[in-house]
Amino acid sequence: MALEIRDLHVAVDGKEILKGVSLNVERGSTHALMGPNGSGKSTLSYTLMGHPKYLITQGDALIDGVSLLEMTPDQRARAGLFLAMQYPVAISGVSLYSFLHAATSAVRGFGDRSARPARGRFNAHLMPMREFRKEVNGKLDLLEMDPVFLRRYLNEGFSGGEKKRAEILQMALLKPKFSVLDETDSGLDIDALRIVSKGINALQDELNMGLLVITHYQRILNYIHPDVVHIFVDGRVVKTGDAKLAEILEEQGYEWVRQELALGD
Amino acid sequence: MAERYNTTSMPSISTTTVEALSLPVGAEAAGAIADLHDEPDWMREARLDAWATYAAMEFPRKDEEAWRRTELSRYPLDDMRVVFSGTELNGIENLPPCWNYTLAPANLVSGVLVHCNGARTHATMRPEIADQGVVFADLHRALRTHGDLIRRYWMKGTTTRPDFNKFTALNAALWHGGTFIHVPAGVNIARPFQSLISYDADGGTGLHHTLVVAEAGSRVTLIQDRVSQDLRSAVNAEIVEIYAEAGARVRYISLQHWGHHRYSVSVQEAQVAQNANMVWVTGSMGGGMTKEFLRTNLNATQARSTMAGFSFPYDHQHVDQSTYQHHKAPNTYSDLLFRNVLRDRAQTVFYGMIRIETEAGGGTEGYQENNNLLLDDARARAIPGLEIIANDVRCGHGATVSRIDPEELFYLQARGLPRPDAESLIVQGFIRPIIERVPLAHMRDRLEEEIAERFWR
Ligand SMILES: Nc1ncnc2c1ncn2[C@@H]1O[C@H](COP(=O)(O)OP(=O)(O)O)[C@@H](O)[C@H]1O
Ligand SMILES: [Mg+2]
Repeated sequence: MALEIRDLHVAVDGKEILKGVSLNVERGSTHALMGPNGSGKSTLSYTLMGHPKYLITQGDALIDGVSLLEMTPDQRARAGLFLAMQYPVAISGVSLYSFLHAATSAVRGFGDRSARPARGRFNAHLMPMREFRKEVNGKLDLLEMDPVFLRRYLNEGFSGGEKKRAEILQMALLKPKFSVLDETDSGLDIDALRIVSKGINALQDELNMGLLVITHYQRILNYIHPDVVHIFVDGRVVKTGDAKLAEILEEQGYEWVRQELALGD
Repeated sequence: MAERYNTTSMPSISTTTVEALSLPVGAEAAGAIADLHDEPDWMREARLDAWATYAAMEFPRKDEEAWRRTELSRYPLDDMRVVFSGTELNGIENLPPCWNYTLAPANLVSGVLVHCNGARTHATMRPEIADQGVVFADLHRALRTHGDLIRRYWMKGTTTRPDFNKFTALNAALWHGGTFIHVPAGVNIARPFQSLISYDADGGTGLHHTLVVAEAGSRVTLIQDRVSQDLRSAVNAEIVEIYAEAGARVRYISLQHWGHHRYSVSVQEAQVAQNANMVWVTGSMGGGMTKEFLRTNLNATQARSTMAGFSFPYDHQHVDQSTYQHHKAPNTYSDLLFRNVLRDRAQTVFYGMIRIETEAGGGTEGYQENNNLLLDDARARAIPGLEIIANDVRCGHGATVSRIDPEELFYLQARGLPRPDAESLIVQGFIRPIIERVPLAHMRDRLEEEIAERFWR
């Protein structure tokens, strides 16, 4: 039961960005992936989720032994993968509530519009409204979010921190087996970081979720304790260790890693 | 719950007591309609005059600006027939279920008026509204009770007049089936009136005529929908006249769900008096080809109008909208927002004009925006125009054509939504600013459902 990444090579616009990444994130475990800007962290997360821009030239990615590569992004989501994006996209005119209702229904197998009788009541194929509303309210409480959020258009005019909270709210409702959190900490002030981290930890316990926490600061790891820390430079995992590795990195900076590697060669 | 309506096994409207007449368009048909409804002499004469106008006019030519982008040659102009029922039809329960479905629950509306093939088939109005002197009736009947009133307003608009084009002349001569609303001064009707214009396979040419007169300080909303089940091509030549007198507030929601064999020319005009407010929402979902002239005349100071529209043509559907915001007095305000979504090989044309006359200078504002979202090989054309002859005015106009943003699509798919659902949600978001202006959650939900269905065809 794992999210497995095997020797993954990825190119964007003909340029190789990931140069052989291998990771094995067991369910219930937390891996941190730390690397400088531009090292390819978001490329890895988008590739796992199936963004069409990224071309896999070699390797594989599997969820519980099943390859993701032939799946569309929505199939990956329904297979239990979630990506909290570094830059969530705004969609005008679509309220957070109606989006959450549609997405939650789709992931839980309610969403098959084609299988329901024609000319039914609006959204009759979705998860029952009352049940859904109750669950949303619970998750809003967990993340200390104001219910008025639900009426706003998806990510439109959200502050950086509000977007990140909304990402975790989605995770809470979609109940994935594995989550990739791409710089969820950026844009969150210290109070928000504490609340969101607490929420993530609670969800991990509840769902026995495997977590891949992508960050370039050690800060979030004070709240979400990693079992394994990977240092990621120039499209590769260059060093793997335990939580102490993150602390050393925080003190010494990425220059230290580069020197270490040069010495090691 | 209503069943999906199946074209081949459609039950025909109950016609047990109905004598259906079918005549070619012509003076004889004009006389026959006037006889049938025992119309006042002035209307009979107006019909015959209009027929003379029709006979003397040419169909619009392709080099006329308004017809440059819509192939009138595809309209079945040689095959127009006046079909009407001699007696009232049996009632609403005989309408096919999908037509019924367009009506909001009775407790949410002030009254319902249904026409099928030019005949009234169903009419209700809340007694407490009738008690206030409000008329919401079939236009033929209203001619008997409110003939002089109707005559004062009859076809005196800029576009809603017999000689505007050959289609308005045709309607003036041969209209049958009509919706009439008269709201006395100061009467405020909170719940909308609902009108349904329908034609079945025997329907013939659509020649409905709508007249709304809202007297000073009154308030009224009309939701008017249109459906047809045509087995072969048919023309619709329709007129809507709206008068918002001083201080009146009128909302007109005009929806169109014609069958794909219906080729329509709809001429709609609102006259807005001092301090009156006219709100339009127009939605086109059906029709083979649809040509609409939508005009607001702001005739006196403080007159206001907002026009909102959406269309979602697919397959080979064609929607052509010419809008006109005409400012004739200072301190008038108009804005317009039309959004189209196009699938397959559908086409839309938006030709919008704001004209501000010299005497309308001083505090007048006019705005116009047309946005188009393309899917597949569809094509949208937008031609915004401004004619400003006045000083001290504020105007703006803009048009955009875009496609679905792949990043938005990816974001939604990454949350488990299959591609058609993701596209549907983006499209619903795009049209939301228009849908929001439709009264009654029932109507909004139905439109949203219909939009969503287009992604699962
Ligand atoms: N669309 C693109 N076209 C070309 N290069 C890209 C594109 N997207 C990202 N890159 C490049 O890929 C590298 C990795 O980017 P990214 O995965 O966003 O890094 P990180 O998330 O670690 O900051 C960078 O050098 C960036 O410039
Ligand atoms: Mg990144």
